[in-house]
Amino acid sequence: MQTPTGHQHPLTKMIAEINEIFRKIGFEFAEGPEAELEDYNFNRVNVPKDHPSRDMQDTFWFKNKDVSEPTVLRTHTSPVQARFLEKNEPPVKIIVPGKVFRNETTDATHEAQFYQLEGLWVDEGIHLGHLKGTLEYFFSEFFSGKTEIRFRPSFFPFVEPGLEVDMKLLEGNSKLAGKWIEVMGAGMVHPNLLEVAGIDSKKYSGFAFGMGIDRLGVMKYGVEDVRDFYTGDLRFVNQF
Amino acid sequence: MKVVHSWLKEYVGESMPEAQVVEDLLNQHAFEVDGVEEIEGETVIDVDVLPNRSSDCLCHRGIARELATILNTEMNNDPLAQSPELPITKEITVSVEDTVACPRFTASLVTGIEVKESPQWLQTRLKALGQRPINNIVDATNYVMYAMGQPLHAYDADLFPQVDGQWKFDVRFAKAGETVSLLAEGGKDEDRTIELNGSELLIVDGSSDTPISLAGVKGGRYAGVHAGTTNIIIEAAHFNPTLTRKTARRLGIVIDASKRFENEPSRALPPYGQAEIIKLITDIAGGECQGVLDAYFEEKTNPQVEVTLAKTNSLLGLELTLTEVAALIERTGSCVEVQEDTLLATGPFERTDLCIEEDFIEEVARLYGLDKITSVVPEPDEVQAINAKQYYSEKVRHCLLALGFSEVVTTSFHKKGKIQLQNALASDKSYVRSNLSKNLHSVLDTNYSHTDMLGLRDVRVFEIGTVFFKTEEGVGEHTSLALGVRTKGSGFSAGDERVVVDACNALEELLSTSLAWEKEKGVAELNFTNVLEQLPVPTEYDAVTIETPPQYATVSPFPAVSRDIALWVTQGVQASEVEAVLNDAAGELRLRTDLFDEFTKDEKTSYAFRLVFQSTEKTLTDTEVNEIMDVVYAAVKRREWEVR
Repeated sequence: MQTPTGHQHPLTKMIAEINEIFRKIGFEFAEGPEAELEDYNFNRVNVPKDHPSRDMQDTFWFKNKDVSEPTVLRTHTSPVQARFLEKNEPPVKIIVPGKVFRNETTDATHEAQFYQLEGLWVDEGIHLGHLKGTLEYFFSEFFSGKTEIRFRPSFFPFVEPGLEVDMKLLEGNSKLAGKWIEVMGAGMVHPNLLEVAGIDSKKYSGFAFGMGIDRLGVMKYGVEDVRDFYTGDLRFVNQF
Repeated sequence: MKVVHSWLKEYVGESMPEAQVVEDLLNQHAFEVDGVEEIEGETVIDVDVLPNRSSDCLCHRGIARELATILNTEMNNDPLAQSPELPITKEITVSVEDTVACPRFTASLVTGIEVKESPQWLQTRLKALGQRPINNIVDATNYVMYAMGQPLHAYDADLFPQVDGQWKFDVRFAKAGETVSLLAEGGKDEDRTIELNGSELLIVDGSSDTPISLAGVKGGRYAGVHAGTTNIIIEAAHFNPTLTRKTARRLGIVIDASKRFENEPSRALPPYGQAEIIKLITDIAGGECQGVLDAYFEEKTNPQVEVTLAKTNSLLGLELTLTEVAALIERTGSCVEVQEDTLLATGPFERTDLCIEEDFIEEVARLYGLDKITSVVPEPDEVQAINAKQYYSEKVRHCLLALGFSEVVTTSFHKKGKIQLQNALASDKSYVRSNLSKNLHSVLDTNYSHTDMLGLRDVRVFEIGTVFFKTEEGVGEHTSLALGVRTKGSGFSAGDERVVVDACNALEELLSTSLAWEKEKGVAELNFTNVLEQLPVPTEYDAVTIETPPQYATVSPFPAVSRDIALWVTQGVQASEVEAVLNDAAGELRLRTDLFDEFTKDEKTSYAFRLVFQSTEKTLTDTEVNEIMDVVYAAVKRREWEVR
């Protein structure tokens, strides 16, 4: 019996595919720390202290004695937007796949640690049409079939207007085909984010989106319990 | 926020659509609807009001206004349409210590009321919202809050001592160590006495300096309305949202009133709430309003915002005219001044969320229709930089995959470690990991028993992930790479080490650099971030194929059982032919078949197969598997193959 080839974990496989799809249209793979300063995780992405918008994300905090500035396990990949915009002039086109953390009870659709994909494109004249086109392109490639996108009004502190994005796979016989599925939050970058990073919000605009990569895996592979991604069980991994 | 359809209709009027249409309209233009149900004979719609609209839409009037805006009709009956003219009373006074904490305080005096059951229609509406009717006065305060979003509280005026013929309210910060007694929370019998730390705002009976309630957060039983009450004071105020929120969170009290205050309703709202409740109470409880105290210390109005046509179209990717944009914004009840190519827009007073140009542009987008946004297909483009970590991680992955290693992603939380979280999810998850090795050891342990069903001879795994360490300033992190091998079920053995060393050497060769591994009992780990610094800057990603996804099957929780079979066949009979016969005979409980030995001697070939069985419904017994194997042996015999 020969040693068979190993199996790549579906999360890193998806990240490689996501990077492949986005690099073709010029999106750079960016990253940031998982132990993030409160300032970047919240304040600089327009989620002020003691504001109800903080309720949207339950947070793991590090102990005060261990840190000189309040530090959290990042609750989203959005702080990388702030960090990248601070260091780079537009045009900025990035994706940020990475691990994030929420202090929430886990179940089949929620893990306290999961992977998120952030996307950001800031330049002169970027509008909702670019967001729609980019997402249609991404989903069509990722799910290997023509995909349609639908926007609904929503609210996220880092964007204005804010949107909920639904997708529908138009082709194929996958279980996903022909149904509207809620997939992510998105919108036009809030001017506060641009200004904090020293970018003129009168001149530049941008879109941002964020979604769970685990959720993409649920859709793409039919995984029923997101916790399976993190068990290290080869009965799971070796199916991919 | 649950809303009653007939109640909304009272505000919207005859153009009010049926619930299904309401659901569709709200979903498309405003809020997600979580469901529609029939309660107490009423159609109740559960609307998921967005955080930025919790200032004006956590009430029926707000949702009704939203519907009228979407439908582009006038509201039939809008309690916010007319600025209320309330009689003034000098019998109530208020002294506010910090007017930023309490910018407005109103209180009305209603005399000669009769406390009794609320009329049926009112009870029905409250029940439809899941509220228990208490008496007409308490019910009226709740009703007006659900109607207009203004929390209110009623006191028995005769139980509230006067000073020099006046009722005297104080609004002040608590003293450290002071206590306040609060009404029992839903589902609990006993009132709760809370010791305060001095950061909380209190409403106090000025005659004796007795705390009555935690301002904006929760009321007490002090001077409460009872069956014999005839004269009442009704309070409606505005409290600082941040302060309210801090106190509510710290004490773990989140009730309908505090939720509304912390979302910054308009400071203009309290008098409207008073007008509405006075009308309702005199209607259902009789009595007469003697007057209202309105102490408005810190006025705040909505800003006038310049909305340019250029910005609107450039954010939305639309080609609207100035007239169209003006009309859409006007539909929200905003006041719009049209200039050459810009608008000056001011949101209606209750819309405290309309503060910047983009806020108005969002209104334009959702009312015009987000479905009218046209896609711009992205052009091929070059990336500015290649991510070295992703590039080399993929190189490492493919090298290890070829050597039979599978990749795992494991938890970032450990039971013990060096850096503890302030608020862990569970006691066995209270530290962040400082290495990957620990997780890999346990992955090796748990996976070894699955080798047969996975068709593996040994377990080989790797992980690339973030680990944390303490620094001078705080928490540092780096990317770590770890790999591990388990060749024997009994635990670590010398054989593990050999496979690990081979893999480590293969990676050194791949990356053309020496690597500083830390090895322990069949697991090797290194600081990959350090390695990346030594490697050449990559210039192009390797191509990745987007695979048609394999469909995942949930792993059976029941154990797998293996049986080996070795047999002689005439030389030339292919393994695949034998396997097909075995598989056919083994039936549906067979999970997999692996050829693990093969040799030829004297014109005969020996094949040895391992068959693995597993049920998704139960644990298979030996007898059950033996019966299957008997069928397999019989099939082999029919082919005149000789079982060894």
